[in-house]
Amino acid sequence: MQSILYPGGIPLWRNVVFIQWVVQIISAIVVIAIVSGFIFNVANEIQDREIPFGFSFLDEAAQIPIGESVIDYDPSESYLYGFTVAALNTVKASVLGVVLATMLGIIIGVSRLSSNWLLSRLALVYIDTFRNIPLLIQLLFWFLIILELPNVREGYVFFDAFYLNNSGFYLPWATPLGGFWPWAILTAVGILAAIVAYNVLNRREIETGKSSYPIIAGFIIIFVVTIIGLIIFTPLELVVPERQEGPFGRLQGGARWSGSFFALLIGLVVYTSAFIAEIVRAGIQAVNRGQTEAARSLGLNTNNSLRFVIFPQALRVIIPPLISQYLNLTKNSSLAAAIGYPDLVSVSTTMTQIAPAISLIGMVMVTYLAMSLFYSLVGNIYNRITRYAGVG
Amino acid sequence: MFLITLLSDNIAREAKNGRDTHHMKTKLLIAMLAMVSVFAVAFSACTDDSGPTDADLQNAQATASAAQSALSDANARADAAEARADEANKMAEDAKMMADEAMMEDTGGRLAQVQDRGHVICASRNDVPGYGSLDDAGRNVGFDIDLCRALATAVLGDPEAIEIQYITAAERGPTIQSGEVDMLVRTVTWTTSRDAQWGNYAQTMFYDGQGFMVPADLGVTSAYELDGAAVCVTSGTTTELNMADFFRQNEFEYNPNVFEDTDVVLDAYESGQCDVFTNDRSQLAALRTALPNPDDHVILPETISEEPLGPVVPHGDDQWFDIVKTVMSGLIYAEAYGINSGNVSSVAAGDNAKAKRLLGAEGTIGQEALGLDATFMQDVIEAVGNYGEIYDRNLGPDGIDLPRENGRNALWSNAPCTDCPKGGQIYAAPLR
Repeated sequence: MQSILYPGGIPLWRNVVFIQWVVQIISAIVVIAIVSGFIFNVANEIQDREIPFGFSFLDEAAQIPIGESVIDYDPSESYLYGFTVAALNTVKASVLGVVLATMLGIIIGVSRLSSNWLLSRLALVYIDTFRNIPLLIQLLFWFLIILELPNVREGYVFFDAFYLNNSGFYLPWATPLGGFWPWAILTAVGILAAIVAYNVLNRREIETGKSSYPIIAGFIIIFVVTIIGLIIFTPLELVVPERQEGPFGRLQGGARWSGSFFALLIGLVVYTSAFIAEIVRAGIQAVNRGQTEAARSLGLNTNNSLRFVIFPQALRVIIPPLISQYLNLTKNSSLAAAIGYPDLVSVSTTMTQIAPAISLIGMVMVTYLAMSLFYSLVGNIYNRITRYAGVG
Repeated sequence: MFLITLLSDNIAREAKNGRDTHHMKTKLLIAMLAMVSVFAVAFSACTDDSGPTDADLQNAQATASAAQSALSDANARADAAEARADEANKMAEDAKMMADEAMMEDTGGRLAQVQDRGHVICASRNDVPGYGSLDDAGRNVGFDIDLCRALATAVLGDPEAIEIQYITAAERGPTIQSGEVDMLVRTVTWTTSRDAQWGNYAQTMFYDGQGFMVPADLGVTSAYELDGAAVCVTSGTTTELNMADFFRQNEFEYNPNVFEDTDVVLDAYESGQCDVFTNDRSQLAALRTALPNPDDHVILPETISEEPLGPVVPHGDDQWFDIVKTVMSGLIYAEAYGINSGNVSSVAAGDNAKAKRLLGAEGTIGQEALGLDATFMQDVIEAVGNYGEIYDRNLGPDGIDLPRENGRNALWSNAPCTDCPKGGQIYAAPLR
């Protein structure tokens, strides 16, 4: 086409397609230059300063102490195993934290919108307080509170089986015996049967309108199967914590939830739930007010309209930022080193005593990344299920 | 900011004036939380929140997109780390030699760098009285700090020309490996793998060993009665590994509680969360004096490890390594020859040939090859004193009062001095 400004045709430097290409290529070159400069610099420095690097250490005995673990650990195990133990500790804190923070966050977020003035103000104070204090300080706060509990020799004892003191909470725990796996399989079958029964009875209730008690039936099936399994296989043995002989009077056997773990869990849950509460509030308020009115005019009470109408619609707004809070919580758990919980960062720091630091930090980064991506994946799948058909 | 300032003030005060109990700290924190809550209530009363839906939505979206970008950032970093691994493996020997040569040429050695910069950078600490802490005026003091001052005086003529980087135990390796500091003096135990991986150990300036401290009321009298104990320890130290070895060898049950900061370890120990505090004996002694009732705590007699402590310099610069060794030797022999900060000039003018050689008044101890002034040791001793003076000021009677007589940290048995403590292991390369 003949241009008025450029009668001889559009010159190259005014050609939109050409300009776009040039900008793209220059950006690409700049990015590649920066990244490769970074890589070469690091590689050179590693070489020059003879900083050790590699992964051959993973098979060697770690020889480091780890205070608590989900699976059995002994210092003679390998670095890789020790690393796994630490990663599982992080997973434990993260998963429990995510579940509890979600529950607490939803309660507080809904309270924030309550028509009860006191409740909504309390929720506001909670949110503003805990959202605005650095997490590390909150963790130290909870940890020092837990240290205020009496020590293990003077702590509280309930029913001679539960012990609460500043070393943690000790409770009876079941250890698996030989019959554990057959029992576990039987129980799994029982749960499947319960789900099937629930669906069948639920459909019958919906179709015929007769009360068929699907939930109760499901629980009865699970309960009966589990009990039968326990009697046939004797899969578990209940171990009660017992006080050891000697001057220290520590407790052995059963399960121990350490004081450091509690401090970490409380800190993470309280901190994250404040953020989640705001996300929940935003999600609920994002649902058109007409929906509430429609639900109420159908005769649903406040609870039911929230449960069946508002919340399902709010979820599609809530879930994406909620996932990023889960990721934050997981990453924040790395502050555990300050209060003595043997998480991934804490343990790998100890490992750098002998093992090469760069390799370990690389492994830690990859592990956190994998955990975060997993949360994202689960969240995104859930997000896809809950969003409106035909939207986005 | 306010909270952090308060907290750090509190910690600094504890480090300086001896510690409050952890009860104080908790109360302080509770008070702070209460204040913040009051503030939040006041704030919430002032603000109305009639229609913030859109803003909240935007907020939520912003959070989500921030998380997204953080994620992609992390992704990029992981890729970079992977690429780095490949690169490092590919680098062959010849490339390394070329790099070495290039480095020698363009940097001109660490001595020149330090003299250009005008101060010596040492990695040390500010949390253990006697070794490295702050005095009432906020000045760095301690045994480790004085070694840094001695080095600064030797190469720059000024004991104040130092920059101290406070690092945690676990940061010591990476800090010295990267070469970002000129010297690491932070109660670093000399071990073979650290020597191979971290940097070069110049000289043992203090012989330590790991011990255990327990509350006296437990009635424990020996480390071999520690079966079943919960043990507090700082992370990233040889202490942690020695402890694991000790309990494993004796087949003792134990529960390790590992913390990053010495302060938190003490809190946990004081509260009885753990029964035993393990560390180098000298540090235990120093920290015990900082507890509310030092007599309620006993240090068990057994020493379970050898911990030679001393300064470390980065790999790759022999001249700098030699300078640090010579300065350390100079401090030790100055005590042996009876040279102290009060009599330096009269000894330099006197007739003791060995002492005059050390002070550069006659003969040489290799100053020229090191690139230092002939009389650098005169400045050093005038500024910081000899080994004995440094010890007494920080660890001895004027410091945390660790006895030196008959211990490992006295001079060797036939040291030529008349009234210095002898019969120990402090010994260095002769100055000649």
